[in-house]
Amino acid sequence: MQPDDLANALRPKLGDRLKGVEPFVGTAGRVRFDRAGAIDLFRAVRDELGFGHLSMVGGIDWVDRREVFYVVWSDAERQYAILSTDLPANDAHVESASGVWPSANWHERETWEMVDITFDHHPDIRHLLMPDGYAFHPLLRSFKLHEPEELEVKTRRV
Amino acid sequence: MSSSGEVVLSKPSAVATSGASLPVVREPAVPFVEIEALRVKEFIPAAKEALTSLIAEQGQAKLIRPVFNWAGRNSLFPLHWGLACCAIEFAAAFGARWDAERFGVVPRSSPRQCDLLIVNGTVTWKVSHKLITLYEQMPEPKWVIAMGNCATGGGPFRTAYSVVPGVDKLVPVDVYIAGCPPRPEAMLDGILRLEQLIRERKE
Repeated sequence: MQPDDLANALRPKLGDRLKGVEPFVGTAGRVRFDRAGAIDLFRAVRDELGFGHLSMVGGIDWVDRREVFYVVWSDAERQYAILSTDLPANDAHVESASGVWPSANWHERETWEMVDITFDHHPDIRHLLMPDGYAFHPLLRSFKLHEPEELEVKTRRV
Repeated sequence: MSSSGEVVLSKPSAVATSGASLPVVREPAVPFVEIEALRVKEFIPAAKEALTSLIAEQGQAKLIRPVFNWAGRNSLFPLHWGLACCAIEFAAAFGARWDAERFGVVPRSSPRQCDLLIVNGTVTWKVSHKLITLYEQMPEPKWVIAMGNCATGGGPFRTAYSVVPGVDKLVPVDVYIAGCPPRPEAMLDGILRLEQLIRERKE
């Protein structure tokens, strides 16, 4: 499957919520979409293109914006594809993919606690790697290395 | 003295075994078990009386504390709880080559049976609550050994967002063992130092 195939299959479903498909090394292509079309895109990719397995979800903090990306795998094509969208830094939220691929659950919890991207309608949004009550999102660019004592004060038992 | 100059010891004159009659073994009038029961019955009040008078004479702490310390330091039971790569050395110390069991150190799987917590590895904030819970579940008296650089002061992860910079932020530590990871010899040395601490314990 080539990037053009992805674009041709997704264009009728998403319209202008599909920002474009570009080649990406080792995958069928990288789909860039608007967050308004997230759920439509997930359903189309899973049900019609056959990408049944969500391999990972991740987030990147590009200071001026945040990016969230989903790596999906198709057993039939034996190919990965990447779905990614840009979010404004001051309003970083996107619809959760947990309803489409259940494996998104923990990945989205991790993405939320590391780079502070909110996933709407997530069934169980809690800390995954950090203790409850942890006060930071440590993979944000604005996170500074703290003195150990300062971390201790801000990480209380709950 | 013989002619060749050797010393010849004279044989013992009475070698009694050959001709003497052996004592006849008879059934005791009272069965053995009952004799034992009688002995115990007599022993307990006698021992109690002797111990009471001794305690009144010497003072309880002075008499019993050394016994407790002796028993405690020769049967340190660490919690069988591996956190990171130091746990490999921890396991090796109980293997055939180093054999920590000869010091009475036997890892137990339940904190209720332990009096020694060996923190062997990097402690993250996520696991810190479990560590405190395990420490609180151990019966008194209890001791803690921080094994390796991570448990001692965070090690190479000291400034990381997820790592406790030294387990002494969470529980009181008696002995620190340096190393990354420490050799099993170093762990045994730490245990022996802890035994020294217990030996010198006053209260």
